[in-house]
Amino acid sequence: MCLIARHFESLGLPTLILGSAMDILVAGKPPRATFVNYPLGFESGRFRDKTDQLAVVREALKGFAELSSPAIVPMNFEWQAGWDMLHEREKGKLDQRSPRTTEPQYQTEDDRLAAEG
Amino acid sequence: MQPTPTEYIRQTRESYEKLGFEPYQWFHAEDEPQLAPLKKPLSESKLGLISTAGTYVQGQVAYYYKDDTSVRAIPNDTPVKDIRFSHIMENYLVEARQDPCTVFPLEALTELESDGTIGELAGHYFSCMGGIYSKNRVINELIPNLEKAVLEEQLDLLLLIPL
Repeated sequence: MCLIARHFESLGLPTLILGSAMDILVAGKPPRATFVNYPLGFESGRFRDKTDQLAVVREALKGFAELSSPAIVPMNFEWQAGWDMLHEREKGKLDQRSPRTTEPQYQTEDDRLAAEG
Repeated sequence: MQPTPTEYIRQTRESYEKLGFEPYQWFHAEDEPQLAPLKKPLSESKLGLISTAGTYVQGQVAYYYKDDTSVRAIPNDTPVKDIRFSHIMENYLVEARQDPCTVFPLEALTELESDGTIGELAGHYFSCMGGIYSKNRVINELIPNLEKAVLEEQLDLLLLIPL
């Protein structure tokens, strides 16, 4: 995502990344980024928690006005239950990747039927 | 106290090594990024969104997992129930498939436009599948595809949410 951000900034379009992988952000040196320390997949807030989702996105967007030089700003959100949920699910799993093929991978069979009509 | 940020690069490198895979090449920037100046505040700006979570709308073709560099346009008034995901790291999307707004904030953005925090939302948001192994294909295929799509929206600001 940092490559994408850097590209659009070079075209004159200000960007802001809302990310939850600090080391990947640091490696990519993004123009403007806010960091939420939630598990991957919850960058825009907790599961089924609309109040938290709104708060995370609202807080992140402040970065546009507040950052005038490259930075990754940690936001003050915590969600231990989310980490516990993920650790329980991933316990003992080593390879999390799905097979790399060129067949579209639909979320549901109904999606395939809808797309292939 | 916040937990220490997860070391995704180290964890992935170690698990791939144990599995005998080639190491994943994370992007490491060598130079400092440029910052484009804001022309106006968020409350007067048109905001767009790119998600790399493999977001698509029911009825669209899903992504494939071997370096798919295609882009989907997602109308900003898409019902949340029609949002789908296909991404090589779909283990991180178990909950998002039940509540897409955990990674694709359709509802929050609409609310922030309604309350005046955001001036205007793009008519379409965009998504792609972030698990592309070839940096060259990101630069030569994915980014031009995104550029063409995003520039048509005539945005003032662009929010980027990686998976």
